[in-house]
Amino acid sequence: MTDDRIERETTINAPIERVWAVLTEPDLLSQWFSTGKRAEVDLRPGGIIRLNHGENFDYPTRIVRVEPPTHLSYRWASAFPGTDATEDNSTLVEFTLEAVADGTLLRVVESGFAAIDVPADMEYRAGYESHTHGWPEVLDAMRKVAAG
Amino acid sequence: MTTTARQVEEVLAALADPMRRRLLDLLARHGEATATVLADALPVTRQAIVKHLAVLSRAGLVAGTREGREMRYRVRPEPLTATAAWMSRVASQWDARLDAIKRIAES
Repeated sequence: MTDDRIERETTINAPIERVWAVLTEPDLLSQWFSTGKRAEVDLRPGGIIRLNHGENFDYPTRIVRVEPPTHLSYRWASAFPGTDATEDNSTLVEFTLEAVADGTLLRVVESGFAAIDVPADMEYRAGYESHTHGWPEVLDAMRKVAAG
Repeated sequence: MTTTARQVEEVLAALADPMRRRLLDLLARHGEATATVLADALPVTRQAIVKHLAVLSRAGLVAGTREGREMRYRVRPEPLTATAAWMSRVASQWDARLDAIKRIAES
């Protein structure tokens, strides 16, 4: 019915090294994921990618795995701006890149939502932006149960 | 209904167990059922069913009403809908980010 993860993918008409650069080079990363202040990147396992989504949304994410140009993963405490990402307060974001005929297949998996230990009085800040697209499989499954 | 972190976390944790998902599916099909009826339909003891129902109940996914000596349980769909909506928002943020990555990489 549900999984504690979100998976999305897209095919990009660009070489795999170019896509890797967009994920890891501060100037390019800042164009899509750290739109507040320029991102700071210490690209090694255990290193920090410091993202800033504007105002006080500062996220020091902790790099778990770096294998250029095919794999990058980090822990992101998206619910707790300003806090270092640990196992208890963050989700794991994994990017997988694969060279395909049209360019690069980029897949992202965000997992571990259920393991986050959140103080009772704290509201999630993750998910504060609202869009209209859905997560079809889960929604359908959940609707089926909800409808009985 | 405000979806707090705790609600989402509890719902996802409750649904992480395959037996609880089966239990919820079964309960949804029955409309209402007691732990005894559910235990007859699933390969676990009534005692285990009661424990799973307690977890589902804490997450707000089932509600029980006492009837004689037994509780009758039914599915409460609201937390599922709220969690699905929340997960769907997180997913659409990734859609937007992947679109942006694509645009930048292809430019």
